[in-house]
Amino acid sequence: MAAVLLCAALVAPVRAGAAGSRGTVLGSESVSGGTWAATAGPTSMTFTTNTYQTSTVTNTGTVALSAISYKVTIANPASGSPTFKVFACAVAWVSNLCSGGTGTQAGGTLTKNTITTVTSTVVPAVGGKVYLQVEPSGVSASVTVTLGTSITSPTQLRAAVKTNR
Amino acid sequence: MHQHHHTRTKTRRHGRAVVAGLFAMSVGLLTTAGVYAALSGVATGSESVTSATLNLTLSPDVGVGFSNFTGAMAPGDTDNVYVNLNNTGSLATAAGMTLWVAGTPANALTNGTAPGEGLTVTATQCSVAWTLAGVCGGTTTPILATAPISTMNTAGTAVSLSNVPSLVATTGKVAHVQVSLGLLGAETSTNGVAPTPTIQGLSTTLAYTFTEQQRVGTATNL
Repeated sequence: MAAVLLCAALVAPVRAGAAGSRGTVLGSESVSGGTWAATAGPTSMTFTTNTYQTSTVTNTGTVALSAISYKVTIANPASGSPTFKVFACAVAWVSNLCSGGTGTQAGGTLTKNTITTVTSTVVPAVGGKVYLQVEPSGVSASVTVTLGTSITSPTQLRAAVKTNR
Repeated sequence: MHQHHHTRTKTRRHGRAVVAGLFAMSVGLLTTAGVYAALSGVATGSESVTSATLNLTLSPDVGVGFSNFTGAMAPGDTDNVYVNLNNTGSLATAAGMTLWVAGTPANALTNGTAPGEGLTVTATQCSVAWTLAGVCGGTTTPILATAPISTMNTAGTAVSLSNVPSLVATTGKVAHVQVSLGLLGAETSTNGVAPTPTIQGLSTTLAYTFTEQQRVGTATNL
């Protein structure tokens, strides 16, 4: 007998699994961060008498300030107990006066052989200057005073700005 | 005579054997051929299928939307833009979407190299269009809590935006989104010099990538 073979090909339908589709959009914006910095000049003053000396502070940053700190280092003289005060003025001192007045003191009375940070709210505008006057008292021997600037964000920067575009 | 009969019988038997052999051989041949020859029945069916579309658009809601910010950001500052996200396709989305933000060049503003400092992103949805003053006249829904860009600056670290109801399940709806860019920065410049590392004086171009996912696939029995 001839063998009769019936082949029935059963082909399962192939359904490709649908991969997850995504819609994507892109937005772009450029942004820059500002800088906060200031320099003093001169930074070192030597006192042999009670004559006042000045230093000019320049805002070299791009962000306006609300305060600025000064690190005042007073050396130990060979003798005596001098004290010092630091005053700030928005304009240059004339005859030890700030626009005819005393200026604004930063911190308190500083003594010999100390390192003290004092803060002033008399601040230079961006690119602008303020003027410090160091006023000694009781100087009887040579003593050196060194000034340094310090600006800390965000507390000593201008108030935060909210922009809506 | 008897011998002749035997011969004739022998001849008949021989003949039958040959025929049987031939028959067996032909059956074998038929069988072999039959393995390859088969009866088959073919039926065809037809149906039309239309694929849906998934399309997300981004456009300004109010103001200029994403564009270049010309100011110099300081820590604490916020820069808000207002955009519309719209699924204009025919396929609904799954709940929510993802966002990641790349910075080019990558620097301390976006890559976390100044610890605790850098740009941040916050997103809030309004049920109606925002005003340029940043006021929502409807209901606000937070969709992204403030997050450092340094934690979401690659596709692999994209964050999920929660509560984007306008785009859920229904196509053609618009999500009015406020995207707020902030800057974290607590550092001290001494004698005119910034610390190292620093976020000061850096620039970058931010690319915001919003991605929606299609809704879950469904099985239909026709």
